[in-house]
Amino acid sequence: MSAMLRAENLYHQVSTGEGPLTLLNNISLQLARGESLAITGASGSGKSTLLGLLAGLDKPTGGRIWLAGEEITRMDEEQRAALRARCVGFVFQTFQLLPGLTALENVMLPSELRGEGGAAKRAGNFLDRVGLSHRLHHYPRQLSGGEQQRVAIARAFASFSGDDGILFADEPTGSLDAANGERVIELLFKLNAESNTTLVLVTHEQRLAERCGVQMRMVAGEIAAGETGSGSLPEVST
Amino acid sequence: MLPLKLLFRDWRGGELALIASALVLAVACVTAISHVTDRLARAMQQQSLTFLAAERVLRSSQPVDPAWLQEARERGLQTAQVVQFASMVAAGDQFQFASVKAAGEGYPLLGELEVRDRENGPTHQVQRGPAPGEAWVEPRLLPLLQLHLGESLQLGDTSLKITGLLEREPDRGTSLFDMGARVLVHLQDLPAAGVIQPGSRVRYRYLFAGDDKVLQSYFTWLKPQLTEHQRVIDLRDGQPRVATALERAERFLFLAGSLAVLLAGIAVGLAARRYGLRHTAYVAVMKSLGASRGKVLTIYLGQLTALTLLATAVGLLAGSLIQSQAVALMADVFPVEPPPSRWNPLLVGLATGFACALGFAVAPLVRLARTDPMQTLRRDWSNPDRREWLGLVLGPTSMLILIWWLSGSLAITAALFSGLALLVSGAALVNRLLVRGHLASFGGAWRIALGSLQRRAAFNTLLIAAFGTGLLAMLALVFARTALIDEWRMQLPEKAPNHFLLNIAPHEVEYLRKMLADNRIVSTEIYPMVRGRLVAINGVPVKEIKEKDNALRRELNLSWTETLAPDNRILEGEWWDKVNEGVSVEVELAARLNLSLGDQLRFSVGGLTIEAPVASFRSLNWNSMRPNFYMLFAPGTLEDFPATYITSFYLPPEQKLLINDLVREFPSVSVIELDKIIQSIRDTIGQVSLAIESVLVLMLVAGVLVLLAGVRASISERLQEAAIIRTLGGRRRLLLQSLILEFGLLGAAAGMLAAIGAEATLAVLAQRVFELPLTFHPQLWLLGPLAGALLVGTAGTLACRRSVSQPPLRVLRELA
Repeated sequence: MSAMLRAENLYHQVSTGEGPLTLLNNISLQLARGESLAITGASGSGKSTLLGLLAGLDKPTGGRIWLAGEEITRMDEEQRAALRARCVGFVFQTFQLLPGLTALENVMLPSELRGEGGAAKRAGNFLDRVGLSHRLHHYPRQLSGGEQQRVAIARAFASFSGDDGILFADEPTGSLDAANGERVIELLFKLNAESNTTLVLVTHEQRLAERCGVQMRMVAGEIAAGETGSGSLPEVST
Repeated sequence: MLPLKLLFRDWRGGELALIASALVLAVACVTAISHVTDRLARAMQQQSLTFLAAERVLRSSQPVDPAWLQEARERGLQTAQVVQFASMVAAGDQFQFASVKAAGEGYPLLGELEVRDRENGPTHQVQRGPAPGEAWVEPRLLPLLQLHLGESLQLGDTSLKITGLLEREPDRGTSLFDMGARVLVHLQDLPAAGVIQPGSRVRYRYLFAGDDKVLQSYFTWLKPQLTEHQRVIDLRDGQPRVATALERAERFLFLAGSLAVLLAGIAVGLAARRYGLRHTAYVAVMKSLGASRGKVLTIYLGQLTALTLLATAVGLLAGSLIQSQAVALMADVFPVEPPPSRWNPLLVGLATGFACALGFAVAPLVRLARTDPMQTLRRDWSNPDRREWLGLVLGPTSMLILIWWLSGSLAITAALFSGLALLVSGAALVNRLLVRGHLASFGGAWRIALGSLQRRAAFNTLLIAAFGTGLLAMLALVFARTALIDEWRMQLPEKAPNHFLLNIAPHEVEYLRKMLADNRIVSTEIYPMVRGRLVAINGVPVKEIKEKDNALRRELNLSWTETLAPDNRILEGEWWDKVNEGVSVEVELAARLNLSLGDQLRFSVGGLTIEAPVASFRSLNWNSMRPNFYMLFAPGTLEDFPATYITSFYLPPEQKLLINDLVREFPSVSVIELDKIIQSIRDTIGQVSLAIESVLVLMLVAGVLVLLAGVRASISERLQEAAIIRTLGGRRRLLLQSLILEFGLLGAAAGMLAAIGAEATLAVLAQRVFELPLTFHPQLWLLGPLAGALLVGTAGTLACRRSVSQPPLRVLRELA
């Protein structure tokens, strides 16, 4: 299987008023298409920073990352944005729907940013698949938390323009009650399996992490050895 | 198309309403002010042009070449001819000296005559003179000639039927030719009258009106052909006082317009900054979905362009409607109907819309495009791009260019910006002082208010500067307006002399003085007057002097007095109480002739020459309606030359008939009646004041709306804070008090700054623009903070009243 996501010796540091602060150190990983990875760890362990770097939202201080076969650490911001527009989807803890847009318009947004035609039809299909075909023209403030997250999931899957999709989810159930959280997770994994997309998930919930093929626990910006759950951390070939 | 789509979707969400309404407000305000000032200025100019009865006048002591008039007509200009001279008119055995004006077809080209066709009937406004064979006369001539309307008077060899009583004529001048009661006749009657003989003192006036450019090109063609006895007069030459008043009014109106633009820009800036902050989260999400920085910029700048176009169109429409209403409301008090709107104000509105948008909204959007997509994961929506300087450079620069263009005056622009620079730096300082207090030492509403001020410290600096600018504009306008109007009033006091008596013989002086005193008329000093020509300076004949001042080409009225008139001031040298010989020269003429103290001036008086050293330079007020002289000699120098005397006095309307007694007692004395001219000038000044007041009202509205825009920018945060305080048990009264305190303090701080800025601005304006003496305004320092606290306190509290009145649960749910 070809690697959908690969990171090699990632190292990330930021400047603070009290000097440089190391957020990530010596992170290497590899995921094949269709695989799922759960990143767990305490608050401040570097999970979200790692997720952002893997998705190309920022550049690491050191190390290399390949996404869908392309090395994003050699790309500038514009090139990374173009890659994200093509094959990266996001689900955020606080949904991050644009409040001025309806559910349908929020899901249409990725297609529109790529300049594709038929955005409305495509968005309607995804909303139908998440069970919200009756809420197309509602604004986020008119939807419940669970419904908003389902719109966000529909938007994430609408972000892929081809087969090489990779979904990054940051605490997707963090703002939901247990029942809604469960429903959203079921939906996420169902769509992931149907679309054969790759999934990278940051979560605090062990139960959720266990549903992923690969688990990775982080402590103070490093992968805690021997705590990779039921899956096996793929070897990183250089 | 994506920017437009997003614009419409976003509009539905209400996010763009604030920035759009700020732009609409800006454009509407500026368009309305620009329209009103343009129309009123043109109306005032038209009204003023009626003083000439034309747009340009060619004055000559001889008839001009008829080909010149033919050329004017061929170029499409309107022309009319007026001949003026002094002559005796008679009826039976009654004779009177009259000021005769013979007007040809077309007279007056501008303005109207006021005529009565019954002795006690109403006046009619007409735009023509009498028909051939008829005469219109001033009412006071009838009793002098013992005539009634409908009877005839004799002018030279012709008899003319009096068909109208002339109450007012637009071009009633102030020259010697206007002495005596007016008799207006038709030009065709002059040859038959035979009153103009070779050598008669006659003034020929040729009136011109038409398209500005055609007039310009015609006089460019004509001027090289004029002799030294011919002169072209425009408004400035014809009525220097009106021209000055008009010029100052125009400057003031432009100043008001410029400040409106500045306020509008600040409103847009406040709204755009808030818009940028509110959209940080959206942009972070869009970027995580794959939107590049370029794409984000395209989207937001595209939106801004569309929004600006839309808002500008609405603003232009609204501004045009407001101005038409405003002008309609003022129509009754304007004797001249304001001319229709032109397209220029629309251009000003359009330029303002784009200048405001580009100057104030682009910077926040550029910063917005630099949003870090990682913020979606950090859930931190502050804008990490610290490049506030871009906005601080772009905004003022665009305003500077726009205001310079609008005002056409670097001095006004510099004055405005000097005040503004002081204000912005002061705002930061005052804000620091304001947020230094320790909250723990305050209680209740004070703690909430000060806490709110501290939390918004950075934004408050901007708010104080914005409020300060608004208040500065208002204070500067109020005080500048007051200063200007006061100065006009001082120039033309209520009982300014309104009649001149000329050609008073020396033996008549004492009797005249007694007659005036008997009638309780206070006159100015009765000055002797000797006609003389300046022929040499320091022995150099004036013919060889390069500075060909008009004063060198004509006879001057030379006088002497022991007492310096109240409107005269010795600037250099000594008056006759310190030296006993020489001549005191009016300072501006002295400057034009490059005179120095001690220079020897040679005059030719009645064929004799006299020499006198320059003893002093003297400033005087030509507008004082008192006799004034370029050259005042030391007593004892000119007494041997034949002199006539001149004086001026105020005659109340109820004593108007005294003129008849004076004319009867002193038949050789010429009377110049200035009261009608003064009334015209008063009317014009009244209009100027009204125009300024109208603009001031519009400015006040703009200022208040800008303050509201500023307050609204932080309304959602305030709603949330208030809802939380109320949820935790805070009472509405406490919140209301804290709001009043917070905005009152902000307003007072802004008001204090505005007072400082306004004082500085007024000083610059007084010195550089209005040429008024420097004065300190203690009222500013009280009024500024008080008005600021009241205005901002009220506006802010009203704008935030929702946070006090709405149920907290609803607020929290809406803002979630």
